[in-house]
Amino acid sequence: MASLRPLSRGPFLLLLIFFVFSLSLLRPIQGNGGSDGGGGGEEFSEELLLKPLPDRKVLAHFHFRSAAPPSAANGRHHHLFPKAIAQLVQKFQIRELELSFTQGRWNYERWGGSDPISTRNAKPPGVELWALFDLPTEEIDPTWKNLTHALSGLFCASINFLESPTAYSSPYWGFLSNNGNLRYGALPREAVCTENLTPWLKILPCRDKAGIASLLYRPSIYKGYYHSQRLRLLSSESKGIILEQTLTVVLQPNSYTSSLLSSSDAQLQPSWSLSQLFKKEMTGKCVLAKSSKIFLELERGLLEKIVEIRDDSWIGKFDGQVGSSLYEYKVDNSNENKPLDVGITWKLPLVWSSVHAPFQASRFLMGSGNERGSIAISLQSTQTHDQYFGDLNDCTVPVIVLQVVPWYVKVYYHTLQISIDGKPQTLSDVIEKIQVTPSEDKLLPGTLEIMLRFPCSMLSATLSLDFDKDSYTLTNILQMSYPDYDVSDDSSLLHNLQEKYLVRSYTEVLLVPLTTPDFSMPYNVITFTCTVLALYFGSLLNVLRGGLVRREIISQKDSARPGLVPLYFLGYLPAKE
Amino acid sequence: MAIDRRRPKPSRRSHFVIRETLLLLFLLLICAPSPSSSSSSSSSSMHNNNWAVLVCTSRFWFNYRHMANTLSLYRTVKRLGIPDERIILMLADDMACNARNTYPAQVFNNENHQLNLYGDNVEVDYRGYEVTVENFLRVLTGRHDSAVPRSKRLLSDEGSHILLYMTGHGGDEFLKFQDSEELQSHDLADVVKQMKEKNRFKELLIMVDTCQAATLFSQLNSPGVLAIGSSMKGENSYSHHLDSDIGVSVVDRFTFYTLTFFEKLNMYSNASLNSLFASYNPTLLMSTAYYRTDLYERPLNEDRSCSSYEWLKVLQDRLADEKSDTIVMYGLGTMILLLTVSTWLST
Repeated sequence: MASLRPLSRGPFLLLLIFFVFSLSLLRPIQGNGGSDGGGGGEEFSEELLLKPLPDRKVLAHFHFRSAAPPSAANGRHHHLFPKAIAQLVQKFQIRELELSFTQGRWNYERWGGSDPISTRNAKPPGVELWALFDLPTEEIDPTWKNLTHALSGLFCASINFLESPTAYSSPYWGFLSNNGNLRYGALPREAVCTENLTPWLKILPCRDKAGIASLLYRPSIYKGYYHSQRLRLLSSESKGIILEQTLTVVLQPNSYTSSLLSSSDAQLQPSWSLSQLFKKEMTGKCVLAKSSKIFLELERGLLEKIVEIRDDSWIGKFDGQVGSSLYEYKVDNSNENKPLDVGITWKLPLVWSSVHAPFQASRFLMGSGNERGSIAISLQSTQTHDQYFGDLNDCTVPVIVLQVVPWYVKVYYHTLQISIDGKPQTLSDVIEKIQVTPSEDKLLPGTLEIMLRFPCSMLSATLSLDFDKDSYTLTNILQMSYPDYDVSDDSSLLHNLQEKYLVRSYTEVLLVPLTTPDFSMPYNVITFTCTVLALYFGSLLNVLRGGLVRREIISQKDSARPGLVPLYFLGYLPAKE
Repeated sequence: MAIDRRRPKPSRRSHFVIRETLLLLFLLLICAPSPSSSSSSSSSSMHNNNWAVLVCTSRFWFNYRHMANTLSLYRTVKRLGIPDERIILMLADDMACNARNTYPAQVFNNENHQLNLYGDNVEVDYRGYEVTVENFLRVLTGRHDSAVPRSKRLLSDEGSHILLYMTGHGGDEFLKFQDSEELQSHDLADVVKQMKEKNRFKELLIMVDTCQAATLFSQLNSPGVLAIGSSMKGENSYSHHLDSDIGVSVVDRFTFYTLTFFEKLNMYSNASLNSLFASYNPTLLMSTAYYRTDLYERPLNEDRSCSSYEWLKVLQDRLADEKSDTIVMYGLGTMILLLTVSTWLST
């Protein structure tokens, strides 16, 4: 035994050293817990807002918020915040970005236009992307191009079509006040489907496996009247990166329990609940979320008389904007055995209307023919003056209109005409500020930013611009971008539902039929040319071949042939050999 | 003296043992990284990843079945183990969220509507007007603008087995893209030749489901390519059945019978290409499924542990990924442990 010790000590020690060494190699593979700096301080919260709409529909607004604290180092470890987004912000030096995918049109008349939900989530159909960069001006355009490509790969959409300068514009103050580092682009014809939602959900810490996002039953969402998924990024040195993802859906609940009351024409509004709308149950929150809440928004005073809330486990009641109450539910208490099923049952029929924005904007074409036309933007007042403006006589409303038009619709900005209540106005009376970036063929779209001051008591206003249609070689009917306007409420844009905000509306997408080439022309040209050539060469050949001999035809009565063709009409007869 | 005599003996033995163990460890360290490295020569390169490029080239609602064909293959390929990162899916139009679809976000390939092909996790890389001949050829050759993101690139190497599936309307030596341009057979042959020169694949399986599909790969002459077409020159490929609820035909015959073959398989099956070819019945297909095996070196009926469907085999694929480092380290640790024990026991 004593002899074994000196023999086995040497190699044994060596092997032990190797073993320890290999263990130390194993540790970095296993120990990736994110405990090495940067992982702390990130937070994630999720919320869902449910609200019945006046036209028998339900609004469901999902809101996910992720925040990452600022970090001094370039590389960082992330615990909750999606690394793809952080890399995007860092690589392209983004200060602010918003990307929205929308299908359907937000019905401002029925669903409201002035509450924070509609102001921030009523988006134009298709894809809309705008970004503010922290870069010198000459670097922004190439960065925008790379950003559009990166986003198209990330979100499975053709956002890379926004790369060329003909597809995006840089408004100076019409959209957001900036100092030349804003780029705005939109693709109205982009389809929105599950493939856009899949990567959007993969950015969330719990994806769609747990928490509020587990309610997203795809056929229910895409069957709705309006759905819009939006991603908003805010990045600063002091606050780090804040990522806000919202999904706004307007659904129609299938309720077979609504019955016609015989006394009046009013029909009971459909009763609904989460499990009916989404075919799934809320069985627990995302464990990584700091807070997980569901809000139910009802007009104040509806409860106990007209509406019965199905699940009365709400823990708080708040006052929302414009006369509504918010009931808060906490998702933490629910689990698989006791799912949270928020919903309402209508006891009595009720007709109400949502609060409108001060003006209803729409856009249409005037004129006929394939050569020229006019674009008209009309603003109709919605008679909600008392909510926004105090004294009608002495107030004016500032309205900002932004319009981006592609280069193939050549707008003549000097033909701008404004009329209030049908009476044409002098431009200098109404226009406070105007900025025009004229379009350049195949290079730039035309941008019009105009700030107008209207009297509060006006009923309607119309702006019109003449344009020429370019004969474009494509046969597709192409769509244009659309304007939006801001009515400033004398306060800055804030995020909370209970504070003041800016009202923004979009008009419908405008369809401009462009002149298509006349495809029958080649046929016509060929036919005419061939006819002329045939006549010319035919007669020439006839003359050259043997000449035409003029004969006198003496009609003889006795030898009148029974031919039906009077021969004296044939002045020329071909010569016979 | 006894001590003197004993000392050289243990030192000689200990030296020998030390040398032996060092040699063994050195050999271990050499052999350990080898499973995770791929050899450089193409002929002896090992298969270590699978890719799929699935292309639907038709738009408009009445070509729903082409979308359903491609999505059926997408679902099958995902089910049998290829992840989204290795699939390039090109769909020329949007059927699932089309305004004419009474089942939003759902695409079916059978009138019983039992399977929603669109599912919850579909990722389409090229869609709508991005599906052009130019982008298709760029994907295959790998020649992109520098801004194009990784998810839209075919990042295959000399150890890749690629499945290329194309469906749409086609004819004699061409395939129609988006109703406005064509991909011709010599274009495809050139692209495959370029891919082979750049070592972008080890084996390539081309499946085409269009009318006169076999003509599309008539000009191929690169080794390692296997091609299957749904019909021969002069024959049309037909749709399988009409779904009266949706209003259009929902699947093509060739794809339908290909899927019935694959639905019987799972990730660990050993199936051979010959059995796939044998499963095609010209009467049911209403056309002759033609396959071209002259460019393919290995015999098709070999059932080996690496099955002939290289793109069904997932285990090697997994080994080539990040997890190989962990496995190697664990192996090394275990071996050292065993060596320690055996050394202690032998002395």
